Amino acid sequence: MSTPPLLEIEGLVVKYGPAVALDGVSLSLEAGERVALIGPNGAGKTSLLNGVCGLLEPAAGRVRLDGRDLTGRGPGEIVRAGLTQVPEGRQVFPTLPVEANLLLGAYGREFRHELVSATLRYLRRRGEIAARLERVYSLMPKLRELRERPAGRTSGGEQQMVAIGRALMAEPRLLAIDELSLGLAPLVVQDLSAFLLRLNEEEGVALLLVEQNAVLALELCSRAYVLEAGRLVLAGPSHELEQNETVRSAYLGGGLDVADAEPGTQTEPGP
Amino acid sequence: MREFLQLVVVGISTGSAYALVGIGMVLVFRTTGIVNFAQGSFAVLGGLFMVELVDELHGLLAGLVAVLAVGFVGSLVGFVAVGFRHRTTPLASLIITLGIALLIASLNLLAFGDRPHTYPTIFERAWDIGGVLVQPQYVLVAGVTLLAALLLTLGLQRTIAGQALGACADSRRAAELVGIDVRAVAAIAFAVSAGLSALGWVLLTPVDPVNYDSDVRIAINGFAAAAFGGLASIRLAYVGGLVLGVAQQLVVGYADEIPGLGQQARQYELAAALVIMLVLIGWRARHEVHE
Ligand SMILES: Nc1ncnc2c1ncn2[C@@H]1O[C@H](COP(=O)(O)OP(=O)(O)O)[C@@H](O)[C@H]1O
Ligand SMILES: [Mg+2]
Repeated sequence: MSTPPLLEIEGLVVKYGPAVALDGVSLSLEAGERVALIGPNGAGKTSLLNGVCGLLEPAAGRVRLDGRDLTGRGPGEIVRAGLTQVPEGRQVFPTLPVEANLLLGAYGREFRHELVSATLRYLRRRGEIAARLERVYSLMPKLRELRERPAGRTSGGEQQMVAIGRALMAEPRLLAIDELSLGLAPLVVQDLSAFLLRLNEEEGVALLLVEQNAVLALELCSRAYVLEAGRLVLAGPSHELEQNETVRSAYLGGGLDVADAEPGTQTEPGP
Repeated sequence: MREFLQLVVVGISTGSAYALVGIGMVLVFRTTGIVNFAQGSFAVLGGLFMVELVDELHGLLAGLVAVLAVGFVGSLVGFVAVGFRHRTTPLASLIITLGIALLIASLNLLAFGDRPHTYPTIFERAWDIGGVLVQPQYVLVAGVTLLAALLLTLGLQRTIAGQALGACADSRRAAELVGIDVRAVAAIAFAVSAGLSALGWVLLTPVDPVNYDSDVRIAINGFAAAAFGGLASIRLAYVGGLVLGVAQQLVVGYADEIPGLGQQARQYELAAALVIMLVLIGWRARHEVHE
């Protein structure tokens, strides 16, 4: 109660024109926590992240980082406040070398309004940024080998590493990853999740894992929220959700039937 | 043969200036998705500013001031053309740049009048190379263009600010997400491309006078040069500009010899440019399919 949570979202609404993609979602996350946000395709997970990260302007609701209201601020301000997103589909800069991709993560953090002063700030911090790059390389040695290769010419798993590395260059305290596992081989996903676990435990970086792959998300995170059709339908510790019949059936492709939800979990009627 | 070489020399020089305009179009298109038709106006402004300044300042300084001033105008145009985040579509932006081009042409007409402007070249006489007369001004344009294109390419590849432009070109969304202000980068892309276009006519004006309405011809030629590489490649826009310049000179030069066409040949220059470009683009497209 004394210190505000690292991330606090209150009644967030995101619309595309008249279509409501996210209909009043509240959640919070403490420093150093690992939290999952799961739900079927089209539930509004990406819309939530983009509403929080400043890519979309929320129609209503609040976003706070460390208790500071950052609702509707641009992506740069969110990054500087300590939250960096690894977007769905990686979205590396394909024509630029891997190392440039990483450095741009640090550059973007220095960017305020215009390019010249951003460049000067970046150059002044060159030493720190080089040390940071070294740290990212030591966390993901594969990236050091690939440093000169255009990011578009690396494998899907490597691109996911580039995207995570780029995000880490902005020195986030909270890393929000949209669909870590999408389109990647199970072995690659295993490696990446082991890496994220280490990152969380050794560096204290909090994780918000946004996933369709609920098995993975629940295994990796201690807590989870379940989103369906723009609303939270369940929330609770992962081990409880894992036992939950509705969640179990949802993994197998069925819809969530909230009437069967176990007590102790937050409920909102599904559609 | 001598006449041929003569035409090639002139073609390379005007083609270089077109290449600069085309490179500017590629830069803006890659970073913002906008086809900037005010690009020809920047070139005209460069030429006209230079004509004004060259009386008062040392030539080098006058050129520098003209290029920087047009670069500044370009950044303003960029801010207007890019418009509001997520609200101005590339098509709307394109129309804004057309409007700005018309505006600049009208202002130029008011300020500079309806006649071609030029200034004397600093070089005393043409070089005679094996019977081919080479104006040093032509060599200057070609050399500076090559240097500018190389520096730009190097800057885009090797500096973090250049890579930020590349990032916006690759994925505006991802660039935004890492914190890069895409509008600010767009303004820089416009400024640099305006400066490049201006540079072309700062140098070319002594041998190719500019008028307030030269912008259309320049924009179309620049666009054709850029289209050679599908608006995507600086290198190909450079090559496209040179090919276009040379081909145009040859068409116009030899059209003189066709009876009945004679003096009107110059009027067909633009049409020739477009036909040549269509053929080249078609040829390139086929080539790529076969690869
Ligand atoms: N750019 C967009 N324009 C219009 N509707 C969108 C857009 N992006 C997503 N949507 C809609 O918003 C809803 C939520 O989508 P999204 O946030 O991508 O879900 P998820 O990430 O959970 O799969 C879906 O119904 C989707 O069709
Ligand atoms: Mg999604």
